Amino acid sequence: MSVVSAPTVALGELLRSMADDEFVIGFSDSEWTGIAPLLEEDVAMSSLAQDELGHASALYGLLGEPTGTDPDALAYDREPEAYRHCRLLDHGRGDWAMTIARRYLYDSADAVRLAALAGGSWAPLAELVGKLVREERYHLMHVGAWLDRLARNDGEARARLLAALGELGGDAATVFTPLPNEPALIGAGILAAPMTVLEGRWRESIGPVFAELDLPMPPPASDPARGRLDHGDTFHLLWGAFTSVRYSEPGVTW
Amino acid sequence: MSSPPELEAWEVFRQEKAGDPMRHGGSVMAPDAELASHYARELYGRRQESVRLWVVRRTDIVDVADPDLLQPPLDRSFKKPGGYPMRDKLAAAREISGQAKPKARSK
Repeated sequence: MSVVSAPTVALGELLRSMADDEFVIGFSDSEWTGIAPLLEEDVAMSSLAQDELGHASALYGLLGEPTGTDPDALAYDREPEAYRHCRLLDHGRGDWAMTIARRYLYDSADAVRLAALAGGSWAPLAELVGKLVREERYHLMHVGAWLDRLARNDGEARARLLAALGELGGDAATVFTPLPNEPALIGAGILAAPMTVLEGRWRESIGPVFAELDLPMPPPASDPARGRLDHGDTFHLLWGAFTSVRYSEPGVTW
Repeated sequence: MSSPPELEAWEVFRQEKAGDPMRHGGSVMAPDAELASHYARELYGRRQESVRLWVVRRTDIVDVADPDLLQPPLDRSFKKPGGYPMRDKLAAAREISGQAKPKARSK
């Protein structure tokens, strides 16, 4: 890898938001391991979750490199208030329809965000994004196949999907919460467009799918200023779970 | 209310690298071809062990297992080359000519 210049504060915020997104959805979806609707899907969802943890690890690696901070320390050694994932992912995995709704909204938004980072001026991130895009393409194919099946079912599956989309509601668009110092990222050529513009692209990308399936489009973020802040009880429980082994024997070498 | 889709078996064939034959890898259960292809990818292709997969609905396979067709009852051993052992004769010929045994040819 090329010599890494110290990322600016703005770049750090970007990396932290992306890494935390991937880490939280990866850990949360991994809860399906062993209890997914069918054996093959159990393997598939667990594999998707593992992919996201791998992406988080790579992003934490970029984030921690200038200060020599271990990715594990970034993933596990922060207080819940220091995580910057979007509030969409503060909703727990819920039932299968909730997991599919949450993941479809996240993966479709992530695809737009990655597209705006591919070819960016900071080579380490642009290179990593080139790899992430290839794995995320399959994630979106797979979760899209499930969204389609749940939505076209005229019984309980569709009712549960609609309930999940309703519950996610005002948090659905929080992937595109404007970042602190966002203009600096755009000025430096790291990010191609502001988050508000990316949100518009996302809505254009999912619009035809939602229209085809007769699903309600996500509303605007209900509290944009807190889109990546003030994580609630569901995340505190998740945080307690994913830090429990790490804290059972602090500092131990595995 | 529609009932959940039936799962059925799909056979998965995989090619390890370009030019290799497609070999049977195993099977997956899935409700349709799209999810079958996803599950085949997860089980037989996500660790870079395949460059191509064929996913075939098991009921689309023509099964031929009739012993009258495949295990003829009469002695046909004369059709097999086993009656003509060449190894010893070749070894003797090499001995006479002084040539070494050629290496196995790769395809």
